[in-house]
Amino acid sequence: MAEMIKLFVNGEEVEVESGKNLIDAVGAVGIEIPHFCYHPALGADGNCRMCLVGIEDGRPPLVPACKTPAAEGMKVQLDTDKIKKIQRDMMEFELINHPIDCPVCDQAGECTLQDYYMTYDGVSSRMNVEQVKKAKKLDFGGGVVHDQERCVLCGRCVRFCRQITKTGELGIVNRTDSARVDIFPGRPLNNRYALNVVDLCPVGAMTSADFRFKQRVWFLKKDEGICHGCSKGCNIFIDHNREKYKDDTIYRFRPRHNDQVNGYFICDEGRLSHKKENEGRLLESLKNGKPYNLTESYVLAQKAITNAENVLILVSPNLPLEQLVATQVFAQKIGASLSGYSDGYIVKGDGDDFLIQDDKAANRKGLELLGINTGGDFFWDSLEKAECFICIDNELPAVDTKRLIKALRETKVIALSSHHFNLVDQAFVAIPVASFSEYGGSIINCDGVLQSFQAAVVKNTPIADVTEVLRRLGGPLSSAPEVLAAIHRVEGPLAKVDFNRIPAEGLKL
Amino acid sequence: MSAKVKVVKRKGDTLPEKLYLVEVLKGMKTSFGHFWRNLRDNSRLYVRHYPEQQPEITPRWRGRHRLTTHEDGSIKCVACFMCQTNCPSRCIMIEAGERLDDRDEKLPVRFDIDLLECIYCGYCVEACPKDAIRMDTGIFSLVEHNREKMLVGLDELAATPGAFTEDDYQKRGL
Repeated sequence: MAEMIKLFVNGEEVEVESGKNLIDAVGAVGIEIPHFCYHPALGADGNCRMCLVGIEDGRPPLVPACKTPAAEGMKVQLDTDKIKKIQRDMMEFELINHPIDCPVCDQAGECTLQDYYMTYDGVSSRMNVEQVKKAKKLDFGGGVVHDQERCVLCGRCVRFCRQITKTGELGIVNRTDSARVDIFPGRPLNNRYALNVVDLCPVGAMTSADFRFKQRVWFLKKDEGICHGCSKGCNIFIDHNREKYKDDTIYRFRPRHNDQVNGYFICDEGRLSHKKENEGRLLESLKNGKPYNLTESYVLAQKAITNAENVLILVSPNLPLEQLVATQVFAQKIGASLSGYSDGYIVKGDGDDFLIQDDKAANRKGLELLGINTGGDFFWDSLEKAECFICIDNELPAVDTKRLIKALRETKVIALSSHHFNLVDQAFVAIPVASFSEYGGSIINCDGVLQSFQAAVVKNTPIADVTEVLRRLGGPLSSAPEVLAAIHRVEGPLAKVDFNRIPAEGLKL
Repeated sequence: MSAKVKVVKRKGDTLPEKLYLVEVLKGMKTSFGHFWRNLRDNSRLYVRHYPEQQPEITPRWRGRHRLTTHEDGSIKCVACFMCQTNCPSRCIMIEAGERLDDRDEKLPVRFDIDLLECIYCGYCVEACPKDAIRMDTGIFSLVEHNREKMLVGLDELAATPGAFTEDDYQKRGL
């Protein structure tokens, strides 16, 4: 915990952390200082002049809050007529050439210009000369669509590409009225974090081609979640909406700030993985690849399991601890071998030193902590012996297909699957299970941070999660406290974790 | 503060009224009076010969909706969803798409109004920043044989003309 200092804002004493600038320090206690160009991840730039505040008895008396460290006894003025006039004048300046195409702008509803206009400006334009026209709907590459007219030239996107991705594709060219953000000719945005500029942009100048015109943002429900795209476990907002007569659908993922995991950003691949939650899902139970009654499917699966002498269960490394432990207990009960073989989830050389990891499995650490065997030899040996093979949501990526087909020739395959994976069609019985946006649970990321998340999406016909499906197949765990008790019985760091009190930032094990 | 009490004398207590038959005859006199009058000359009827004789609708009347168009026939709507957001009965369903004429960037690819759910409040017209939706078609009577047909789509909404001149419409309520 940083040292606390006392300063005055509008004459009232507040206690803030030292070592931060005024925007962050005062913002932490709920007092907003308007700003465009400052972003905590990109540092102060001081170009927008929106955060100018008065310092009583200060030298100078007027300072940009983003570049001024909070100091003991400082008397910050935000509500004097002079400061209000500065803020209004800055807004007027920003809006001189703004096209006000809010009706077609995807940012409308979460736009800083709109919010500040209502709070700090609120007057009609005095301009009677023609507005400067610039280019609209520019394809910047990487799924980013740029509108130069809406831009307030805060330079956040430019700084992001220079400081964070260090690729430097963007720059501000020309001066004054003609200043605009642009790419170098023939050099589009080409990095795996490019879509973060869409979130960074305080206005609608940078929009996502993927989200373009899909929804107005005020319709979206913004639930917290964790990306399951790789083992980093980036914190995200799951923005979803149930349109009239339609099903609850995810429209986008946005990064959620967590200093312990991902900071302010996520990678593009993770961001676009929201499509996987809507597409290619297994929604009905199948028998030999053909739709089949769900209740009957359970009966068939149960019969197949009891009749088989050797059962092998393969779990997905994406499942949360709760579902893994439920599977473990289920396997013990029916005397099955349990494998977490998932070498195919590791894509060598794909990761970088920022967020993207080689390992595309969200909860491999959890798999290891629960003591589930992830070895390849164990998996193949058990598979050859098995008369019944239960594959729980494991995609089996990059697996030796010929060997798999050979091993499964005499085996009854039961697939509990969230998506229509290859194995589903070959399975004797396939039962749909929920995907990660539809259930809650806890996962451990590559750095050993335990994070919990809640269900965000509720489908019109909810699909049972793995714990529930296993219970219906005769599993012994039926309630959440029972599942947690089962996790606590596992020796190791998980035994002492209070799963109901995992901090929002995650728990470093 | 004491409430003002106004005492009203109860009617119907006189002898002829209590006799009942006298009042019935008085009522019959009124009914037959109208009957004979209308039989002799039906030009001064108190009721309208609907539907042969249509009522006169003022430009302020909120009838069935329509989507307005530019002079070249392209639709004015830019799918900003203001009407859908403002609609208290949630009867407007829009899907937006990319617009390729030079007028704007966005247009509706689907614009459905469920007329059975609509309460004709006119909030959509008030919310529209582009004057793209109006309720000036003068259509006030909607009858269909099934529910599905009461869902009007983009083409039908855009094809219906307004019932008033632009001047009259702009002056409504002034």
